[in-house]
Amino acid sequence: MAGSINKKTGLIFFPAFDWAISPTHPEREERLLYTRDQIFEEGIMDLPQVVEYTPSLAAIHDIARVHFCVPRVEEQITEAHLIAAGAGILLVDEVISGRIENGFSMIRPPGHHAMRVVHGNRGFCNINNEAIMVDYLRSRHGIKRVAIIDTDAHHGDGTQDIFWHDPDVLFISLHQDGRTIFPGTGFTYELGGPGAFARTVNIPLLPGTTDESLHYILDNLILPVLNDFKPEFIINSAGQDNHYTDPLGSMKITAQGYARLTEKLRPDVAVLEGGYAIETALPHVNMAIILALAGLDYSGVREPDYWPGRFKETPERTKEVRRMVDELLGYWEKRDNYKPDPRNIRGNYYLREKEIFYDTEYFVENQVEKLRLCTDCQGYLAIESSVDSTYGRKGILCISIPFSACPKCREEAINLYLRQKGTGKYRYIYLQDKSEDAFMGYNTNNNEEWYS
Amino acid sequence: MYVGVDVGGTFTDAVLLEKNHVLATAKVPTKGGEELLISILEALDSVLRDVDPARLKRVVFSTTIITNFIASHKYDDVALLLIPGPGLDCNYFNFNAKTHILSGAIDYRGREIITLKEEEIEAVLSELALEGFNKIGVVGKFSPRNTAHEKKVAAIVKGRYPDWHVELGSRIGVQLNFPRRVHTTYLTCATYEPYHKFVDSVRQALVKREICADIYILKADGGTMPLDNSEELPVETIFSGPAASTLGVQALIPPRETAVVVDVGGTTTDLALILSGQPLLSAKGARVENRLTQVRALAVKSVPVGGDSVLKCSGNGIDILPERLGMAYCMGGPVPTPTDALRVLELTRLGDEERAREAMNLLGNVLGMGTEEVAEKVINMVVGKITSEVQNMFLEWEREPAYRVWEILHKHKVRPEMVVGVGGGAAGFISLVAGELGCRSIIPRYASVANAIGAAVAMPTLQINLRADTEQGYYIIQEEGFQGSIKNRRSFNKQNALDLAREWLIKRAQKYGVEVVPAEIEIIRQEAFNMIRGWVTTGKLFDVTIQTPRGIIERIGLGEDTLWLDQ
Ligand SMILES: [Zn+2]
Ligand SMILES: [Zn+2]
Repeated sequence: MAGSINKKTGLIFFPAFDWAISPTHPEREERLLYTRDQIFEEGIMDLPQVVEYTPSLAAIHDIARVHFCVPRVEEQITEAHLIAAGAGILLVDEVISGRIENGFSMIRPPGHHAMRVVHGNRGFCNINNEAIMVDYLRSRHGIKRVAIIDTDAHHGDGTQDIFWHDPDVLFISLHQDGRTIFPGTGFTYELGGPGAFARTVNIPLLPGTTDESLHYILDNLILPVLNDFKPEFIINSAGQDNHYTDPLGSMKITAQGYARLTEKLRPDVAVLEGGYAIETALPHVNMAIILALAGLDYSGVREPDYWPGRFKETPERTKEVRRMVDELLGYWEKRDNYKPDPRNIRGNYYLREKEIFYDTEYFVENQVEKLRLCTDCQGYLAIESSVDSTYGRKGILCISIPFSACPKCREEAINLYLRQKGTGKYRYIYLQDKSEDAFMGYNTNNNEEWYS
Repeated sequence: MYVGVDVGGTFTDAVLLEKNHVLATAKVPTKGGEELLISILEALDSVLRDVDPARLKRVVFSTTIITNFIASHKYDDVALLLIPGPGLDCNYFNFNAKTHILSGAIDYRGREIITLKEEEIEAVLSELALEGFNKIGVVGKFSPRNTAHEKKVAAIVKGRYPDWHVELGSRIGVQLNFPRRVHTTYLTCATYEPYHKFVDSVRQALVKREICADIYILKADGGTMPLDNSEELPVETIFSGPAASTLGVQALIPPRETAVVVDVGGTTTDLALILSGQPLLSAKGARVENRLTQVRALAVKSVPVGGDSVLKCSGNGIDILPERLGMAYCMGGPVPTPTDALRVLELTRLGDEERAREAMNLLGNVLGMGTEEVAEKVINMVVGKITSEVQNMFLEWEREPAYRVWEILHKHKVRPEMVVGVGGGAAGFISLVAGELGCRSIIPRYASVANAIGAAVAMPTLQINLRADTEQGYYIIQEEGFQGSIKNRRSFNKQNALDLAREWLIKRAQKYGVEVVPAEIEIIRQEAFNMIRGWVTTGKLFDVTIQTPRGIIERIGLGEDTLWLDQ
């Protein structure tokens, strides 16, 4: 229980007051201004239950462990991204070392729409702060099983993409129905790759969903699944655009609803994602999350126009939520007896084709993902990716060797990299060897090779 | 000619300066209560002797006696009327005072979200009157953004009880931190009378000696304010002791130096940092007793070891207790102390060598260690405690939160170049501390009256915090509690905000009799945010903090005679 053994809640507040996507973009300097006013005025940082940290910068290497940034990491990020990712890493270190009970990384820019391959900004995100924390935990702290609970109103499609084939990472995303909001994905049938079935759980909610349904889902689906999965570390992608005043989302969650969610979930680290009601929601929701993490009374945190019982669930919505919870629990129970669709299998490989839309810069990326089906490990992954007109007609090849790779998979992946360097088929070729923590790239135009 | 007087708990020190020379110094015991005046007079007389009082340009006082008042709780009870509104439960902050919570709330933009209830206020006041309270602190959450609620409550109090002393949080704690604003307001109420008595003693002393120079008081941030104005904000002067000695060191070492000031006293060692010639301010505000305040103060740390700390065996080791039972053993005291260890190792010439050896043997006999061995162990412990705290201070400074990308990118490591010793017990330890930190060590010639020198060279500082909200069309000058309207809401920009703040600073300076050169005004903070609502700019928010320059009037001549390099 938070605070029970006198350990503190670590806070990193990094509002990036000098960083914006563009002057009038929702992701702008002003976003955390009123949150700052509220938490400073409340004296949160002086509470004996709280300790404030200054973020440090993530290393390029920590980003290359997760992402294939095209052409290089340095060209897809700004310093603000390194600070946002570095904040999560710092809190991970502090929780693992036992110096704090839990932490909240109140940072911008956000990250949960950033996928494994990064050609540009998607849904306000360039790199995935949570995924970087997960792979850092595994590489530096020997942690194996991690759960990410994404409570942003938008589907955490980037995080889903990164851990799609990973049976050791449980990804649960609770969001507004993809038929009504960006990025248009996150349906119940999206359940993860052949070796990681039901380790991706999507809970799409109809617009207007209230605290009541949220907590039904927590109590009857998320908490039982977490209890079965037994993660060593829990990360909450704490987006706040489910709030009833958010201009982008259409949900009806309140600050009290968020506080109780945090209290039940007991994440080791919460990471701020979206939330664009910068005056009416963020100051209250951030306060609610901090107090809940620190085990403090949050009952006084309420929006000026809120009263208990203001939002009531409709009977139809209640019924639909119960049905969906049953459906998802059914998948969860069958998680170890899943047979992949034979139409996706070519010999020893499992194929997946994807079309990824980059909303900020308006272009489409096409991907073919090939997973080696292996009985000894989760298999290495080779991704062909191309974006029309960006790097000429040629695509790129990204090869990822998982942490627990068997020698055979690793050897085959390395040979693929070496062979393709000579064919001239791809513009850039990347090898991400998580088992050896070595990440390299190769430019076929000038035969330059580099480590990230 | 300048005079600096530091009225400490044990001694009152004074110095007389002319240009960059120390003409005279004095150290007399501080007498408490009504006799305070006598101590001040003795110190003044001692440095002024044949000096014509008309030649004095200014006299600056610093004092720790207000801090002592607070520590001994010798003041009338204060009642707090708080308007916290929704949010964190106030009970998490122990205000340690009679507290009433009033209905009402203001939000972060200064908008009223819950109104006050007059009948509730009336009822609370009747209760307080029955209980005999007459000192009231009125503090609202977000009151620096809108002072209306606090002012309304104060007006009701004044209407019913014109004699009561009422302080408003918005004038006293202008930063965004409600609990600290409450504590600061509480202390302002509590110290008002004791401070008034102190100021009275000072005034009488000056009248008696026919001194009509400008009189200032040192603040905890190392600036001064005119004595007459200081009664409005007595808390600014608490904790000015460490500021005095740090400024003194600043005056005694070469400019732009990065130094650690180590003031070794009887049972505590106070540490302060001078970074590139400027004393480091604490990021948030001073801690006074157990109260976290908004009082701007130098970053100082107190380590519970000193020359007279009691040494005691415990198990296989030695404990340094945070208490004093008298002088060091070598000077006739009852128990072994670090000073005895210094004497044995010939790091000081104070006291009797034989008694010092005896003191170490008292410990050594129990632990089965030789005389020198014990002495070395003790010294290593003391030096270890001091150096690790110095390192912590630098780390804390580096880790101070930053909220902008460029601030994080420009954080850098700084390490001290010199350790400067002041205070009675400094001599023996300083070179060892410096050795551990890899710096030079210095004990300035006037180390023992560095605090009075610091007071003498301190300069007046004034600050103005301006908040402007063009969407709502108003601005606030927080120190003055003034709320005005912005006429040209559309075109009002960063420069206008700065100019407005400058205008108010100059006005405030005139009121305080402080000269300001507009070109020298320092900008401490300048924030500007565009407010975008639905892709359209609806207004701008500006926060500006400016102040008159920090610094010292003179440096004391840096010849062989003032700087003693401690080998
Ligand atoms: Zn979102
Ligand atoms: Zn394998």
